[in-house]
Parts: sequence; structure tokens; C-alpha cells
Amino acid sequence: MNPAATILRRASNGDMKHDSTPSPPVLNELTHRREFLKRLAVIAGSTALLAEMPWWSPLRAAPPGDSPADRVRVGLVGVGSRGNLHLTNLLRTPGVEIAALCDDYDPHLQAGLAKVPGAKGFSEYRKMLDMPGLDGVVIATPLNLHAQMCLDAFSAGKHVFCEKSLAYTIEECQAIANAYRGSKKVFQIGHQRLFHPPYLRALEFARRGEIGDIKQIRAYWHRNGNWRNPCPSPELEHRLNWRLYRAYSCGLMTELASHHIQVANWFLEAHPLSVVGYGSINFWKDGRELYDNVNLVYRYPNGVHVIFDSLISNRFYGAEVQIMGPKGTIEGETGRLFAEKPPPAPGIVQLINSLEHGLFETIPIGGPSWVPDLKKDTKGIVLGNEHTGDDGSYLEIVAFANAIRRNEPIPNMMEQACLSGVAVLMGQTAMEQGREVTWPSDFKV
Amino acid sequence: MKNIIIPGRRIARELLILIGCVVIALVVNIYAILKYKTEWKELVTTLHITIVLGVIIYIALGIVRLILAGAARLFRRKVG
Repeated sequence: MNPAATILRRASNGDMKHDSTPSPPVLNELTHRREFLKRLAVIAGSTALLAEMPWWSPLRAAPPGDSPADRVRVGLVGVGSRGNLHLTNLLRTPGVEIAALCDDYDPHLQAGLAKVPGAKGFSEYRKMLDMPGLDGVVIATPLNLHAQMCLDAFSAGKHVFCEKSLAYTIEECQAIANAYRGSKKVFQIGHQRLFHPPYLRALEFARRGEIGDIKQIRAYWHRNGNWRNPCPSPELEHRLNWRLYRAYSCGLMTELASHHIQVANWFLEAHPLSVVGYGSINFWKDGRELYDNVNLVYRYPNGVHVIFDSLISNRFYGAEVQIMGPKGTIEGETGRLFAEKPPPAPGIVQLINSLEHGLFETIPIGGPSWVPDLKKDTKGIVLGNEHTGDDGSYLEIVAFANAIRRNEPIPNMMEQACLSGVAVLMGQTAMEQGREVTWPSDFKV
Repeated sequence: MKNIIIPGRRIARELLILIGCVVIALVVNIYAILKYKTEWKELVTTLHITIVLGVIIYIALGIVRLILAGAARLFRRKVG
């Protein structure tokens, strides 16, 4: 069985190429998307798929019709960089009406309203929550605001899509989980890898035992840039560059590491037991408070470790999650599998190589008796050929909208949000306090 | 300009030699499959390699034939 890959290959069938065109929705595009979602719904109903990835269940829903009853009315809080991507995806999702936009930074709000002329603009999110007829909210604000906004949204009876990472403190993560349990509302977290084809395929290969039991995960996210947004005046510095300041964020941990730690939790089907790590500001000494490089080791059950590092002063290695077992390695970001013992070359190629070595290779006499353990120079196997043009950010919005329409929670989503949310906060504490931080035993998802 | 005429028999002979070379390459492939215990489907999947190998053998044979023909002509001229 090949659930994820089959779904995306059969369902996309070229339609999703429209994802690469960042334009407002047109009738033609929405028609294409309806067709895509229709095919997706048929295949997403497979029992095998849902057993492995229960959060795909809302995608079983047939695409909505044009009747007002099918419409889902959402409000978007935070129209910054990530918020804008959600705005684009919401506009492309059939049956979604963006009823309201909220941002306390007026240029962002006005830019958003220009894209959605019919939406009502707000500078205070509580007023937006009071708006009648609003079904759900998408929260794409600085990390320190997530918890209060989620709690208020649940209190107001709204469904919630919250950008990762879940919250600023472990206590806030717990509060959100508690509020969700009592709300019977839909919750979706912005961990798009849960809907990203290469990862789904990678999971399938891992579960099938292609790499053996996972023994280590090494993840890294390297960039070369100051990670700043343009700032028109100094007093806006903290508001626009909140990712650099501790009062608003945990920087690399909550903004980048959370994605990879979520993948680790998902593949290992566990949360970390403890973490140690170091972080520092060793390059961008520009007044920022949060580390520009972090190095952590997470300890998981059965002696498995997850190693994460991130820096923003060198981008040579980019971002990758390397999932390693005794039989092979999966690289999730590029979607490749590298077998420890790749299948042999065809016999005739081996014969030619053997003759070539016999004729031209020099025989070392008294030379080194070992081979350096350099990286294996193999290209590996591509995990699927789904060219949906989507990194999961679109499908997670579709799943959110469908779940609201069906009024059924997205299974396992709060668990994923909490496990990664808490883990990255543990990492930040470990680095700041220079000690091993253990999983909070009283934490309940 | 002098016209070079290649008789039909010559072309047919060269074609036969080329086919013979490809058959030799095919035999080499069978030997390789047996030696390295790989799959028999490689007879089809590596057909392109077999054909290239056949052409290489044909070219190598052509060089040997040219040398032999040159030597024979030189010998005949000396004897004559």
C-alpha cells in the first residue's frame, strides 16, 4: 500500500501546477481546484491512509458547492509574511470566504484588504472575534500572542488555525490543549510537513522498514541572512522584527526547529525525554537578543537521539532532516532514500568495471590500509514524483476549512502541536540555562 | 573526383560482421549475468549497453582488419 504518494499522484494529475501562480483566484483556477479536491476526497477515504495519517480525514470531504450553507467564513489575524501566504491559500480554497482581516500594523492590514476587498478590517482581534457569522480564525502573529488569541478564539466559539510554534511557554501550551479539549472545536497547527508529499512518502518508506528501526535523526536548518524585515522607523523594530527578541519569540527554535522536531516526533512516534544544547550570537551582533546559531541534542526513548542545529551565517548545507536506520537514510526535505547497500549494478556493467580496474588501476604497495569515511557519493532514490507545487501549506488550509464545514476535529493535530511546541521550548531553556531539561511529566495533551 | 563504389556484397558482409559483434556482446552479457548472479531481465534492460559494446567490438575488429589488410598489401607488393 502506498497511501500518501498514491493519493497525490492520482489526485493532482497536473491540476496543482496552478499553485505556482501567485494570483487571485479566478473561476478557472477554482474549477481546477474543485476537480483536484474531488479526486483527493475519493482516495483520502482509504482506511490505510487514515490509519497512518488520521489528520488527513477532513480531506475525505467532497469539495463544497456554491450554496451559502457550504461557505466557511474565516478571519485572519496577522497579515505579515506568513499571514500573506495563508491569505493566498485561503483565496484559492473553494468554499472559503475571508470575512475579516486583523493586524495592528496598518500598512500590513491595508495591503491585505487590497487583496480581499470584501473583508472587514480590524486592528484589535477581540473585536474581530465578536463579528457575527465568523466560523474560524487563522492566527499568524508573533509567538507570544498565540496563546491568548487561541484561548479567546475558543472562548468565542471559533475554530482555530494557529501558526507554529504553538505557544511561548509550556504552561500556555497546556492551557491551549485544555481549552481545545473543552471546546469541541477544530484546531489546526501550521506544521505543513504533515501534508507535504515527500514527507508522507518518507513516512511510508520508514514504516515499511526500508531503513530499519530509526536510530538517529540529524536535522539542520542553515541560512545566510540577518533574518530582518525592512523597518521604516526604529520604534517599529520590535514589532516587525519580533523573531529577534526574547519577549516575543524563541527565534530559531520556535520558527525553524519546531518543524524538524515535529517531524522527529512524528517518525519516532514519541516525544523527547530530555534535551541539552548550546546557543550563541556569534555573527549577527546587531542588537538582537535571540541566538543566531543553536546546537541541540534531544534524547528519545530507546537510546535514540535527535540532533538539531541551525545558523544564519552560512547556507551551504541548507535545510534537511536525515532519518537514519541500519538499512538506510531518508532525507525528508529533498525526499530521497539512500540505501546502505544499494542494489548491485547490472552484470555487464560490473564486468566492464572489473576489466577497467584490472587494466588501469594502480595497485598500492605499502599504502594506507583504510578507506576514509567520507560521505557516500550516491544520488539515492527519489521518494515519489509528485509535483503538486505545494509544501503542504495549501492542503493544511483545505483540511482546516473542510473540518469546519463537517464540524469534526482534525485527529491528532493538537498532539502534534503540543509535542513539538513543548520540545522546542525545552531546547530554548536548555540553552539559556546551560542544563539538561527533561520533558514536563505533568504535561497532558 | 574519383567515385568510390562499394559493392552490395561488401555492405552485406560488413552488416553480417556487425551483427556478429552484437551477438558476441550479447554472449558477454550472458556471461556477466551468470558470473555476477544478476537478473536475466538485464538481457533486455541493458540492451543499449550490449549494442554499444557490439559497435565497440566492431570498431576494434575494423582496426585489426585494416592493419592486417595493410600488412597483406605490403607483403604482396614486396613479393610481386
